[in-house]
Amino acid sequence: MGKIIGIDLGTTNSCVAVMEGGSPKVIYSAEGRNVIPSVVDPVSHIVGDVAKRQVVVKPRSTIFSIKRLMGRKYKDESVQRDIKWLPYSIK
Amino acid sequence: MKNQDKVTKDKENTELKKQIEVLTNDWKRALADYQNLQRRYEKEKIEFAQYANGILVLKLLSTLDYLEKVQSYLKDDGLGLAIKEFKNVLSEEGLKEVEVLGKKFNPEEMEAIEKIDGEEDKVIEVISKGYRLKDKLIRPAKVKVSVIII
Repeated sequence: MGKIIGIDLGTTNSCVAVMEGGSPKVIYSAEGRNVIPSVVDPVSHIVGDVAKRQVVVKPRSTIFSIKRLMGRKYKDESVQRDIKWLPYSIK
Repeated sequence: MKNQDKVTKDKENTELKKQIEVLTNDWKRALADYQNLQRRYEKEKIEFAQYANGILVLKLLSTLDYLEKVQSYLKDDGLGLAIKEFKNVLSEEGLKEVEVLGKKFNPEEMEAIEKIDGEEDKVIEVISKGYRLKDKLIRPAKVKVSVIII
């Protein structure tokens, strides 16, 4: 039977847990942390702490604070405000 | 009357079969959880033995940073010997410095603090050293990286 994981997707950090023995058990990252930065580089296929370490070098391909945009329309006032400061392009 | 009894028994049978299916699934899930727990416990036991000193070593690294910073200004022979001895003790515990200067930027073991116009993705300055304890990275190096700024 396949396992089901739960993800608490936060704007800054995320947490992943799996049900074990009837209670949720947090899955630690490779770095040994119980929270994972909500940062991803879809070009290099890296996530979390590793992706966060390269934000300065690759600001255009490192996606962060994506939760601010989720579920919103491009024309929304908040999205238009975020476009001005987010280094990656939003279309 | 007999027909009604048969219907009731069939219904009971169906209910019992459903219950058996639910209980079997629960049992399988509990067994799988237990086996996973056993595997993880064994893995964690090995990791704990390997990296038991990790937290202490990580705390000592900031002290080593301070001492090295002070030495870069004082250039004192005595302090230099003390730092060397301190590093020897840490290296006996499996601590290794991550060599990054002049290499291509790699986020697996480095953290970019600043970018400067220059050659593509090359580490040009180390702000704070990175370290591995045995094979595990316990602190990434903080570096300045040269990139082609368009």
